[in-house]
Amino acid sequence: MKRKVKKSKSKVSQLHEVSFTLNGKKVFCKVKSATVLLDLIRDVFELKGTKPGCNEGECGACTVLVDGAPVNSCLFLAINADGKKLTTIEGLMKPDGTLDPVQESLVQNGAVQCGFCTSGMTMTIKALVNKYENIPHVPGEIKSEIPTRDEIKKHLEGNLCRCTGYVKILDAAEKLFSKEE
Amino acid sequence: MEFNIINPKTKSELLKTIRKEKHFRFGAGCTDLLMELKKNSDEGLTVINLSQVKDAQFNGVKKSAKGIRLGAMLTAHQIVMNEDIKNNFPVLHEAALSLASTQIRQVATIGGNLCTASPSGDMACALVTLEADCEILGANGKARTIPITDFFTGVRKTALKKNEVLYGIFIPSKKKKVKNITSRFIKIGARRSMECSVVSLAYHIQTDETGKIIHAGVAIGASAPTIRFAKSACGFLIGKKFKNISQREKEEFAGKVLSYASPITDIRATAWYRKEVLFNISKAIFE
Repeated sequence: MKRKVKKSKSKVSQLHEVSFTLNGKKVFCKVKSATVLLDLIRDVFELKGTKPGCNEGECGACTVLVDGAPVNSCLFLAINADGKKLTTIEGLMKPDGTLDPVQESLVQNGAVQCGFCTSGMTMTIKALVNKYENIPHVPGEIKSEIPTRDEIKKHLEGNLCRCTGYVKILDAAEKLFSKEE
Repeated sequence: MEFNIINPKTKSELLKTIRKEKHFRFGAGCTDLLMELKKNSDEGLTVINLSQVKDAQFNGVKKSAKGIRLGAMLTAHQIVMNEDIKNNFPVLHEAALSLASTQIRQVATIGGNLCTASPSGDMACALVTLEADCEILGANGKARTIPITDFFTGVRKTALKKNEVLYGIFIPSKKKKVKNITSRFIKIGARRSMECSVVSLAYHIQTDETGKIIHAGVAIGASAPTIRFAKSACGFLIGKKFKNISQREKEEFAGKVLSYASPITDIRATAWYRKEVLFNISKAIFE
């Protein structure tokens, strides 16, 4: 996204120092007040896996995890990433190149078509997986806490896909949980 | 989109900033604010970023015998996850859960939902039903409390003065016995997610052991310039048995709810449609 040079230079926008953990690495940068996280990730850190879709929080293509929570990076001020742990789609793959189970499941279930929504979709599903992994359960007992298909649907309500019709995406998400038992 | 931002870290820094700045707006979750500023740039605007203020009263939940106090900076997600709210004020739980999407709920705050003062605000509608009070903090550090119905003064207008910030929301526990509650948030829209209500109805009704209604709160959203508390409809229910309300009484109740509505025709629905739906969902409370 190219930033137009503003005509009025009367008030030079201040820069703020921000430091956070990006996909496991400590990073430091200076951002303008109005910079949103999406632009910081794509333009400064050149991680282009996070997609700009609607730029108004409707489509979820730009979803990233901030301290584990899925947020629309187009509506999240870069300044507020300070001190946080940020995960983008590039952070999911293991160093040896193996895909994250969420990515693997999407591939196996044919849940990717044009692919534009996929990184956002993956991050939102990842957040759900993390949530259910963090639910404490008595050791030795069968993990009864598994999201229903309706819960998965509700969780993915902020991610739009124009190709797949969602069925295979939901299948992919659902299988992640049934496999874990 | 251009603006300057100030990040107060404590309550006293926040108050100092409010006293100092001239042309400013508050940013909490910023989901609404950024959308607005992306569309209409506001030259020379300073955004006072509230999300880095560390203050237990601003960010936390406090329960007491009298009720529950919610910090204005609690996110919709935190409201959804709160067990006390889920058990005692399901209407607010449902309203928070129906708000926008998973991603937006992580950052959007309850205070922001109130201060945006949209006639269709989801959490706002639930809080009107619960007859909550708004705790407002002045730049001098003094707080004042007003009933939520006084907080909303018009479409996107609140009782907040220029140097004031919404600090918290207090929900009183109406009756000691909160066991028998029927408390729901009904949101009508074209789809279930990412939707601004066409009409919304929030109710919180308590009954005693015999099933007699001892307390009722009913509020309507997207039906008037502000969210309205349907007082006469609530009064009408007191003393009646929840399960034995007759068809005629249901219609009379729905008529009373409708008397508070003065909807407009806009891109989402016509005024006629809004009234029809409101009447029908009001009746359906007892079915």
